[in-house]
Amino acid sequence: MKSPTISAPRSSDRRRWPDMGRALLKVLDRGAPLFASLLLLLIWELGCRLFQVPSYLLPAPSAIVQGALSVSLESWLGHIWATLRVSLQGYALAVIIGIPLAVALANSRLLSRTLYPQLVIIQSTPIVAVAPIIVVVLGAGDAPRVAITFLITFFPIVVSTVTGLLATPPAMLELSRSLGASRLREVKNIQLPFAVPYIFSALRISVTLAIIGAVVAEFVAAEDGLGFFIAFSTSFFKVPQAFAALGVLVTLSLVLFQLVSLTQRLLFPWSLPDAEK
Amino acid sequence: MTTRIEPDGSRPAIRFDRVGQVFNGSDGGSVTALEDVSFTLHRHEFVAVIGPSGCGKSTLLRIIAGLVKPTGGQAEIYGLPVTGPREEVGIVFQQPTLLPWLNVRDNVTFPMKHKHGRVTQAEKQRAAELLAMVGLEDFATRRPNELSGGMQQRVGIARALLHDPDILLMDEPFSALDALTRDEMSFELLRIWTERPKTVLFITHSIPEALLLADRILVMSARPGRVREIIDVGLARPRSMQTLSEPRFHEIANHIRAQVFRPAALA
Repeated sequence: MKSPTISAPRSSDRRRWPDMGRALLKVLDRGAPLFASLLLLLIWELGCRLFQVPSYLLPAPSAIVQGALSVSLESWLGHIWATLRVSLQGYALAVIIGIPLAVALANSRLLSRTLYPQLVIIQSTPIVAVAPIIVVVLGAGDAPRVAITFLITFFPIVVSTVTGLLATPPAMLELSRSLGASRLREVKNIQLPFAVPYIFSALRISVTLAIIGAVVAEFVAAEDGLGFFIAFSTSFFKVPQAFAALGVLVTLSLVLFQLVSLTQRLLFPWSLPDAEK
Repeated sequence: MTTRIEPDGSRPAIRFDRVGQVFNGSDGGSVTALEDVSFTLHRHEFVAVIGPSGCGKSTLLRIIAGLVKPTGGQAEIYGLPVTGPREEVGIVFQQPTLLPWLNVRDNVTFPMKHKHGRVTQAEKQRAAELLAMVGLEDFATRRPNELSGGMQQRVGIARALLHDPDILLMDEPFSALDALTRDEMSFELLRIWTERPKTVLFITHSIPEALLLADRILVMSARPGRVREIIDVGLARPRSMQTLSEPRFHEIANHIRAQVFRPAALA
C-alpha cells in the first residue's frame, strides 16, 4: 500500500514580502507594552504643548526631564538612599518578625485566637493617621520611619504565610507524624516549603508597600528622602521636580518587585506556577 | 517514641481487640466511627478491608499507624499495644503525597532525612534498588510533577518500603488512578509483595481489587463501622488476569456485594 504523503510548500515558492510583514508584526507584538508607553508619553507631551497647560498644573514629559536635571545627581542619590534605607529596614524587620510569627500563629490555636484580632486591629488602623503619633513617640531619626514602614508591610506577610502554612496537605502532615518526626522538623521540612509560593506573593506586595510606607513617613517628618523631596518641591510649586521624584519612586518599586521575583526564580524555581516556569 | 521489636511468626502481626473509636464533633455531638472491632492479621498475610464510605476504614488504618488513639479496646502490633507511630509500619496514602521541591530519589529517602536529619549511604543505595524495583530507576532525578499519577504512587510505595517495614498499611492507594493503571498497579503490588513478603493491610472501595490482591477480606458495615464478615479468598496464587474470570472470583464478589449493601438492621 502506498503511504500518503503531504508535500510542504517550499520557502522559495513563497513571495518575499509576507515574510517581512510577519517579522514586523512579531516586533510590534513583542514591543507592544513599550510602544504603548511611548505613545502615551507622546500624547502627553503634545497635549501639554497644544493646550499650553502650565507646568505647575501638569508638566509635560520634557519639562519633567528638565526638572530632574535641575537637581544635582548627588542630591538625587541622597534622597533615593534615604527612602531606600528606610524601606528596606522596615521590610526586613517585617520579614524577620512576620514569618516566625506566622509559624507560631499557624501552630497554636491559643496564639491565633489571642494575637490575630490584635493584628487585624493594627491593620485596620489608617497608617497615615497613626504616622504623626509614631513620630512623636519615637522622636527624630530613622526609627519612626522604619516603624511606619514595618507596620504597613508586616500584615500581608503574616496573613499570607499563615495561609500557606495551613494549606499544607493533611496527608503530608500525617506522613510526618507517622515518622515520629519532631514538630520543628515538620515546620522546617514540610510546612514552610509548602508556604513558599504564598510567602513570595506576600513579599512581592510588601516590597512595594515598603516604598509607600517610607514615603508616608517622609511626608510627616523628615529632612531627606523622595517623599520629603516631593512635599518640599510642591510647596514651592516646583511640580516638574515632584513628578521626576514620582518617576524615581515608581522605578524603585518596580526594581524591588522584580528583585523579589528573581530571588524566587533563582532559589525556589519549583514554587513558580507552571505558566511561569 | 518509636520502638522496633523483632517480629516472629508465633505472634499475630496485628491484633484488634474490641476496638472502638468515638469522635467528638465540634457541635457537641459525637460520631462512632468504629465499634467493637476485633480481628487478627498473621505475619506476611495480605488482608483487604472493604466497606461503604464512612465505615471507619481509614480510622482503622490510622489506629494501627499510631496516628489515632482508640477510645475503647486495644490495638496490638506483635503483642505490644500501639501507643504511637512504630518503626515496623510503612504507610502508602491515597494521594502520593510527594514533596514537589524534591526529586524522586530524595522523596524516597525523605522519611530518613525527616526523622534523623540525614540519609546514610546504605539508605541511598536502598532507595536506588527500590526505584529499580518499581521500574523508575531512570526517573530518579525527575521532579514529581513530571511523573504520571501511577508513577507518583510507585514512588510513594518505594518510600514506604525504604526502612523495610514488616507491616505495610495502604489507604486506598490506587483509588485516584484510572482503571487501566489501577489494574497494572495491582499486579505490580503483587509482584513486590511476592519479592519482599510483608504483612499488608489494604483499604479499598473496589471488590475486584480486594479479591485480586488479598488472602482474606474484612467486610465492614456502614457507621458505626463493625466487622461484618471476614472472608477467606482462597484463590490460587500467583494471580493473574485469568483469576478475574474464575467462577469463585464472581461467587465471592457477589457475596461481598450483597454483604456491603445489606441493611444494618438485618446484620
